[in-house]
Amino acid sequence: MTLRRVSRASAMSLGSVALLTFCGIPLVWMLFTSLKPMQELFTYPPRLTGHYTFGNFTRLFRETYFLVYLKNSIVVAGATVILNVVIATLGAYSLTRYRYVGKEFLANMTLFTYMFAPIMIIIPVYMLLKEVNLINSHLGIILAYTSISLPFTLWLLRAFFQGISMEMEEAAFIDGASRFQSLVYIVMPQALPGIIATSVFAFVAVWNDYLFARILLSDPTLKTMPVGLQDIYESTIVDWGLLMSGAVIITIPAMIFFLIVQRFLIQGWGMGAVKG
Amino acid sequence: MRPRHALHGVLLALPTLVVIFGFIFFPIGYSIWLSFTNKQTILPDYAYVGLGNYVALAQEPEFWQSFWQGIVFSVGSIFFQALLGLAAALFLNQSFPGRGFVRGVTLFPYMLPTIVVILLWRWLLSATYGPINFILLSLGLVQAPVVWLSDKLIMGSMIFVALWHYFPFVVISLLARLQTIDLQLYEAAQIDGANVWKRFTNITLPELRFVLMVVILLRTFFMFTKFDIPWLMASGGALQQRVQNLPVYAFRRTFGIFQAGEGAAVSVSLFLMLVVLTIVYFRVWRKETEA
Repeated sequence: MTLRRVSRASAMSLGSVALLTFCGIPLVWMLFTSLKPMQELFTYPPRLTGHYTFGNFTRLFRETYFLVYLKNSIVVAGATVILNVVIATLGAYSLTRYRYVGKEFLANMTLFTYMFAPIMIIIPVYMLLKEVNLINSHLGIILAYTSISLPFTLWLLRAFFQGISMEMEEAAFIDGASRFQSLVYIVMPQALPGIIATSVFAFVAVWNDYLFARILLSDPTLKTMPVGLQDIYESTIVDWGLLMSGAVIITIPAMIFFLIVQRFLIQGWGMGAVKG
Repeated sequence: MRPRHALHGVLLALPTLVVIFGFIFFPIGYSIWLSFTNKQTILPDYAYVGLGNYVALAQEPEFWQSFWQGIVFSVGSIFFQALLGLAAALFLNQSFPGRGFVRGVTLFPYMLPTIVVILLWRWLLSATYGPINFILLSLGLVQAPVVWLSDKLIMGSMIFVALWHYFPFVVISLLARLQTIDLQLYEAAQIDGANVWKRFTNITLPELRFVLMVVILLRTFFMFTKFDIPWLMASGGALQQRVQNLPVYAFRRTFGIFQAGEGAAVSVSLFLMLVVLTIVYFRVWRKETEA
């Protein structure tokens, strides 16, 4: 029995070490590279000792457009999330609290959009936005991001709203509350964890996107970080310290949000919060 | 609820309707229409060519090369994602000290932006100063540094990178399902003398079958329509041909040589392939579950 327990414990440690190495070491290496001066990266064999510096980060901010890309990413992802969550909250409230012809059809139509490849949507969206002069504009890309992420935010919020009992709302109506008051003061506070989780998913999807930004933005002062970092990669003699410091900065918000939603992640999966 | 409020309901859903139809269904319709024209990406003039674009594509070797490479990439990476994802999910469903931390680190690669994943692995796999080659050389597993992003190996490297990036998706989905399996099933089997392997094949796998089928279908959609990984892996360089799939081909037709009509025909073909795949998949599935 003791022998069995010992062998189980060592199997568990072995498994943990294997997963931590496979998934974690590359990330540690990314951080390590970002903190190393260039000459030390090209020594052989690689050494963990030696100098550590923020030099790569200062060069990234001073010598490239990276701060502009960072600002653009925050603006675009932030605006998309706000627009998206407002539209999806109204839509989800409508889908869970009213009865009208075509309601189920609308819900299923939304789910059906999962069938379309992003490339199939972005090419015509580019052509259409070009007609109305919204290429190379943050407004254009915010609209495009809102539409591509709306199906899953709507479905996720709908699942949350379904879980909120209508009894409290009905009591409020008897007391003379309006629909709007009921939505703002009764439904939304209860749905807040769901709204936060939904916002995080939408934010990360937009923050990480390469394809839409690559096609809709070509002006360097408007680009977001993923496209900007790829531009830095292509335009310089490959400078891994510089590139990895950019990669670390893009990753930090993803990491913070991941910590926020990690607990929720496994549960949220069943509700259709999946894309990519 | 009171029917006289139905109008309010429709009004609240109106922004959703406008966005979904205006920015998804209308563009899709426009794309289908484009695929029957010879429209160029930046010029206003066009003419109808009927099925001309599709006929031309069917005779185009680059189209078929992109199609097959897309299949190799999807099948290869999904197979390993499912295998490693299943193993990791079974492991992370056990209880042991530090499980929360190991789970967090395991799921994290999925949250990373693709650009970070690609740049990071280009660096790790780099031939001269990359740590992977250093480890392999130190262990004596190879005699000379391996050029991972060479003509011959780039597809394999790309499948590996996609595996690393996306296998947590499988882990999350399976973990969610594993937690709902009734533990009494295992206790009963243990009393009946079933060993670990028997319990796995007779209880765990059948319980996971449904979610595995859905996860594999979803991953097929996502991997077959993936643009950023094959595009960034070759960075538009000389090896683009080696890893190009249909989305990259559609992109290059539309923005490389400005043939929007042809590009649209490629993306519509891609969509039709997914529709056919879904129908076949559910047919096979129904037969399987009935048998």
